Amino acid sequence: MTKLKDAIFEDVESITIRFAGDSGDGMQLTGTQFSNSAAIFGNDISTLPDFPAEIRAPAGTLAGVSGFQVNFSSEDILTPGDAPQVLVAMNPAALKANLPDLVTGGTIIVNTDAFTKGNLKKAGYTENPLENDSLKDYVVHKLPITSLNRAALEHIEGLTSKDIDRCKNFFALGLTFWIYDRPLDTSLEFIERKFGKKLPIIAEANKTALQAGYSVGHNTEAFQTRYHIKPASLEPGLYRKVTGNEATAMGLITAAKKAGKPLFYGTYPITPASDILHFLAAQKNFDVRTFQAEDEIAAMGSVLGAAFGGAFAVTGTSGPGIALKSEAMNLGIMLELPMVIVNVQRGGPSTGLPTKTEQSDLLQAMYGRNGESPMPVLAPATPSDCFDMAIEAFRLAVRATTPVCILSDGYLGNSAEPWLIPNPDDIEPIVVTHPTAPNSQNGSGKFLPYKRDPESLGRPWAIPGTPGLEHRLGGLAKQPETGNVSYVPAENQQMNNERAEKVARLANVIPEQEVVGPQSGDLLVVSWGSTFGAVRSAVMRLQKAGKTVSHAHIRYLNPFPKNMGDILDRFDRILVPEMNMGQLIILLRGKYGTHNFIPFNKVQGRPFTISEVADRIESLL
Amino acid sequence: MTEVIQLTRKDFVSDQTVRWCPGCGDYAILAQIQKVLPELGRPKEDFVFISGIGCSSRFPYYMDTYGIHSIHGRAPTLATGLKIANPNLSVWVITGDGDGLSIGGNHFVHVLRRNVDLNIILFNNRIYGLTKGQYSPTSEQGKITKSSPMGSLEQPLNPISVAIGAEATFVARTVDTNVKHMAEMLRRAAAHKGTSIVEVYQNCVIFNNGAYSYATDSKTKSENVLELEHGKPMIFGKNRDKGIRLNGLNPEVVSLDAVDESELLVHDETMPEPSLAYMLSRMRQPAFPEPIGVFRDVQKPVYEEGVMAQVKQAKAQKGEGDLAKMYGNADTWEVVSSEFDDEYTSVLFHGENTADRDVAHALLTDTLADLSPKKPLTAHVDISLADAVARLKEVNVGFLALVDDDGNLAGVFTEWDIFTKVACKIKDMSQERVKDYMTPNVTTLGRSDTIAHALHLMAINHFRHIPIVNEDGKPEGVISFRSVVHFLEENFAPGKTNGKS
Repeated sequence: MTKLKDAIFEDVESITIRFAGDSGDGMQLTGTQFSNSAAIFGNDISTLPDFPAEIRAPAGTLAGVSGFQVNFSSEDILTPGDAPQVLVAMNPAALKANLPDLVTGGTIIVNTDAFTKGNLKKAGYTENPLENDSLKDYVVHKLPITSLNRAALEHIEGLTSKDIDRCKNFFALGLTFWIYDRPLDTSLEFIERKFGKKLPIIAEANKTALQAGYSVGHNTEAFQTRYHIKPASLEPGLYRKVTGNEATAMGLITAAKKAGKPLFYGTYPITPASDILHFLAAQKNFDVRTFQAEDEIAAMGSVLGAAFGGAFAVTGTSGPGIALKSEAMNLGIMLELPMVIVNVQRGGPSTGLPTKTEQSDLLQAMYGRNGESPMPVLAPATPSDCFDMAIEAFRLAVRATTPVCILSDGYLGNSAEPWLIPNPDDIEPIVVTHPTAPNSQNGSGKFLPYKRDPESLGRPWAIPGTPGLEHRLGGLAKQPETGNVSYVPAENQQMNNERAEKVARLANVIPEQEVVGPQSGDLLVVSWGSTFGAVRSAVMRLQKAGKTVSHAHIRYLNPFPKNMGDILDRFDRILVPEMNMGQLIILLRGKYGTHNFIPFNKVQGRPFTISEVADRIESLL
Repeated sequence: MTEVIQLTRKDFVSDQTVRWCPGCGDYAILAQIQKVLPELGRPKEDFVFISGIGCSSRFPYYMDTYGIHSIHGRAPTLATGLKIANPNLSVWVITGDGDGLSIGGNHFVHVLRRNVDLNIILFNNRIYGLTKGQYSPTSEQGKITKSSPMGSLEQPLNPISVAIGAEATFVARTVDTNVKHMAEMLRRAAAHKGTSIVEVYQNCVIFNNGAYSYATDSKTKSENVLELEHGKPMIFGKNRDKGIRLNGLNPEVVSLDAVDESELLVHDETMPEPSLAYMLSRMRQPAFPEPIGVFRDVQKPVYEEGVMAQVKQAKAQKGEGDLAKMYGNADTWEVVSSEFDDEYTSVLFHGENTADRDVAHALLTDTLADLSPKKPLTAHVDISLADAVARLKEVNVGFLALVDDDGNLAGVFTEWDIFTKVACKIKDMSQERVKDYMTPNVTTLGRSDTIAHALHLMAINHFRHIPIVNEDGKPEGVISFRSVVHFLEENFAPGKTNGKS
């Protein structure tokens, strides 16, 4: 019987923990399991997967390191956290790649079995970091995870040694469950669900590994302190965990359902947007019709066709895909049909950083098409906000009969947070009317496809199959009302004006911009998209510390909310943190003239941390 | 009862002036399509014409149907999306050799292999017309044009060969001047379920005039064109005196003076393997007469029908999509207000009848003291695990309060702790201290807290017992879920003094 020691429980508000290993080590699964368990326990959670672009880079190399970061907390949290306090490193490469992010004094749990000469060399270590003093600033727990796991599983018959080693991620998970006082139930249930019926031996192996890891924590002297994070005080209700891509997909389905429309999703697989396709392809009972096209161009073309046919048509892609889609998106602007384009942005330029995040497609969304091509642009702030913005995008698209762009990003798309499950009955229907009779008022009985609604300036969405409304659309310049080809100078001017005005008028039906903190004064932080969590947390942290700073987070980028200019006018200085080189500033300057804008830019494929933003704000105070 | 639709050519003529060059082969195609559509028995509003860019792509403007003049090469993609959105429409794609085979080559191949139910009319004039005369992907090698003054270096694509290679299910060729034949090909294309591709030899009078004169000139065409007929031997020539015979794997032209008709190749459009159709597509001038007619006509699953079948199947398997079900299709958890606040009270006691309100009122006003809490079984925190278990057994209760030297509550040890941490795990309980197995940091209440508060904590934290401590933190009682139930039974069960039935 191992001698038990006194574990001291330390109550902490929040902990950020990063699991890192080879991309084949199952670290994404481990991280997901940990966050599910924390979420169900009632902690607020936020996660950030970080995986390599290479599906299986050579084992043990830096290129193959895959990580998953979880922040769980008793407080409402807005981002997956800053520098992790705990790093679980399954091999030397994982240690090397992630050590720079770990807070000084943080905890490292390493699998010593993986610190072989060969692995050290692959990771670029000349000597074993566990044997010199390079980790002296951290609390290092050295555990032979591979062999402990093997020992725990050796009695199970019918397992290959490969099967056994595959369970070591669950062993590590069990250990962290013990340290952070999480119950094993959720993961045990998950294992049962995933393997139970088909592969009972594998199920048993994984369960045993999980429990063995938990016991090791329990029985090992090394772990002096356990942490207890109390349930967070979230708004009451039923919750689930949701990623931005899942939320986007569910929002799109909801919009279509609320309009009584089939949902058409034409797309070409691309990281990090493909999960939207995967989700939608599994929801065909909602009359979701997914189309995996031969290329990005075809995907966008199919969306135009489906929109013409009367479906709620959507494409999803990332920046490089938008580059290819631009021509057809521009035709969408000319055809004036409602449709939604989801850009889950990634690091650029060109192929860039496929699995990492960036916000550098804002100007592309605004101006990346030939000619004057005004398109509404929305940017969800959090993973769950993707749900609301997907619905909002269709509401605006239908109103102004226009393509609408949603700028999500890799970070939002893959990150998860608790989502208060809405009641579908509380979601407003989207009212779509297709004309059934000609609309000319001169008694000619003609249908005028570009005769606009006087208020929204949207045009009638007449769909093929409707008798008497036969009409032709096209990419050539048009005569107002008839839509017939026209090269008449004044008519081209008028149509350009109307298309611009139609988008501008959406400002009448979107919410006004909110400012958190003083409504006027010295410093305003203006952000958009997925930086919300880090920026809002930083501002709140400083406000709590008695500093005077305000925050406006923009979710509507085109058109801007009506009061945007007034807000900017009320502050002396405006700090604009962006995961690009300063694109929002260009838009704000262009529209609202010279203010004292201070750029704060990061293009490292990683989101801002709270402290980065807080430090920058503080340096200005 | 189905209404008989009576349409005429005029119904399909739009109010737009046709702006092709005088003498352009496009006029003939427009005229034939406008002639054939009324024969198809479909309402006019079901027809949609989608084109790309190029001279031919102006076509939709001249048809009084639904239509889109789209972008270069992309017409098949719009048509595919449209058919998926509404499979009932009759969708026609108008394209040219540049639009369909150069910039749109990828889409051309993929729409065919998907077998979307479309009719693609490919106007092949073997030149770029709208951009004023550059060579096209079907121009013959060595073609002298503005962009190839020394002759083009590229091998031409053969649209029929490409289509067959791309798994096309209906492939035909016709000639702009042979309007009767063209009308028949259009009818056949319309009748085919799946993608039908009709290549039309179309003359560009300005930039490539006479490209097909061998096939259109009344003096030579019979010698240069082989009209394919299903089930018939391949015979051609002004005097129908020549035929095609298979020599090994290759076709050869034979004279019927020397060879009996029975030796000739017999055309079969419906062959499952496309080898014959492909071989015919390779027959080119001047070595062979060029075949016109239907090369291939086979039935294969239609793409959009497959899409709709999957939707139907998914509905049959999972039921019509239910948003609430989808949102909740994950691990979920309930968050209830962790503070005992008014909102929670109203949620908890949202009773409609007065009996409920009485219960609610009692729970909200009566205190734990009203439950007459029992003194808890208490022991020192340093006792062994064996002793602790023995004490619980002895008194037959499930809750042991553990106190430190000062008598303050250090933790509790319950049947649940035994169940989860001790049972079947510890061999010798006398060697273990209970403090390693107890639950520390216990949530406690005071005698003056309300019963509702205790119930609330029990509900959200799954507590079975809650210790009651005095102001100094010393345990003075314990309430269990059972004691609350007793209280309710005592006071509110039907027939009891306070209760109402």
